Amino acid sequence: MSDADASDRDADAGRGGDAETADVDSSASAGRLDSETRQGPPYTESQVIMSTVKVVAPFAFTYGLFVTFHGGGSPGGGFQGGAITAAVVFMIAFAFGIESTRQWLANTVVVALAVGGTLVFAGLGLVPVARGGAFLQYDLLPLPYLDPVKYGMEAVEIVGIAPIVSGVLVGLFFVLARGFNGEGSGPPIGERGYLGSTSEDAEPAADGTDETDETDDPNSGSAGQPATDGGAR
Amino acid sequence: MTGATAPVAIDGVGSVSSVTFVTSVTPVVAEISAIEASLFAFVVLTALATAFARDVLAAVIIFGAYSLGMAALYTFYRAPDVALTEAAVSAGVTTVLLLLTLAKTTRIDHEAAFESVNYPAAGAVGLLFAGLAVTMADVPAVGSPDAPVWGNPDVSQWYLAETYARTGVENTVMAVLAAFRGFDTFGEAVVVFAAGIAALIVLRREVFA
Repeated sequence: MSDADASDRDADAGRGGDAETADVDSSASAGRLDSETRQGPPYTESQVIMSTVKVVAPFAFTYGLFVTFHGGGSPGGGFQGGAITAAVVFMIAFAFGIESTRQWLANTVVVALAVGGTLVFAGLGLVPVARGGAFLQYDLLPLPYLDPVKYGMEAVEIVGIAPIVSGVLVGLFFVLARGFNGEGSGPPIGERGYLGSTSEDAEPAADGTDETDETDDPNSGSAGQPATDGGAR
Repeated sequence: MTGATAPVAIDGVGSVSSVTFVTSVTPVVAEISAIEASLFAFVVLTALATAFARDVLAAVIIFGAYSLGMAALYTFYRAPDVALTEAAVSAGVTTVLLLLTLAKTTRIDHEAAFESVNYPAAGAVGLLFAGLAVTMADVPAVGSPDAPVWGNPDVSQWYLAETYARTGVENTVMAVLAAFRGFDTFGEAVVVFAAGIAALIVLRREVFA
């Protein structure tokens, strides 16, 4: 339960001068700690943001797909298109809450994108090797009626790079946003002891046991503790 | 200048449309326009503000603005592929990830808006800047005929001329990334994949979502 607290403490320590001055005094007397008041409720439902994202998201998603699929004829490619597609997921998460987005886009999808893209890229590289050529020698790809070089490159960009980038970026987003609900990650924000004042923070390591089960029950976390993305903006 | 590159380009292909593109582009040493100058000023100001802002949240947001300015600058210099990457990854994704991380930390209310200057650090940065400024004298001007991209036609012009004939795509940047340097790109893709796994390991998770 204390791993998220430990990571919080590390993040505090990484802020250099701020954390240093704050650590001298053990409590909130060093500077005014305004997280509770300033960040407000964990997730604020904003009609303006939700409506805007509802309108913008389809266009941004289409643009991401266009940049990916049309990378051969215009600026762009798999990396840029994958990043734009992942940014659409970020946008939706900021508007409708990270926790509900996490339930909507399951871990299986994220992992399948990243792993599948890597496997496709490696496979497209290894098929010519199996046929006696070099790694990624596109003209040896067995593509009937199609230019193997052109469509091999497009396959690498569309089915290889773009899923890797979008999957990994969305995964990083989710894994970084993990501690925002109280589920399995220590006390929720607002009840958490800051600046290492709780006793749990003294021993950050050696509890790898309670991490696997926290992901299989997404309902329990979102009901009481929505994500805190409203205040981060 | 184009007289030097044109025979190479035409010898390379012959009937492909990109040859006309290569021969028609004339490198011009451009004066600094008003748009360019204001973009430069914006980028430098946001970079300084990022370094000196006392509040980390403000610094992250200003850093996003800096990346947007860099993306506009890349577009201005006709590097739309780099501009897309800068806008999507640096201005968008990185800002969001930094904000997420910041939201988990404690925010301290500062009276002062800017950091006080750390003189040893400022001296080190000043020395680095002076060293880089000395080398700037040898950097060719934008569009200069002496720039290596024009002065070495056997390499750069070859890619511009041969891309369509050899790969069937018009975007030379993508052709270089996916075909001519495909193995490097495979390495980069695996690095991105490894970054995702490394984040899981560092944060001691087994799943992303």
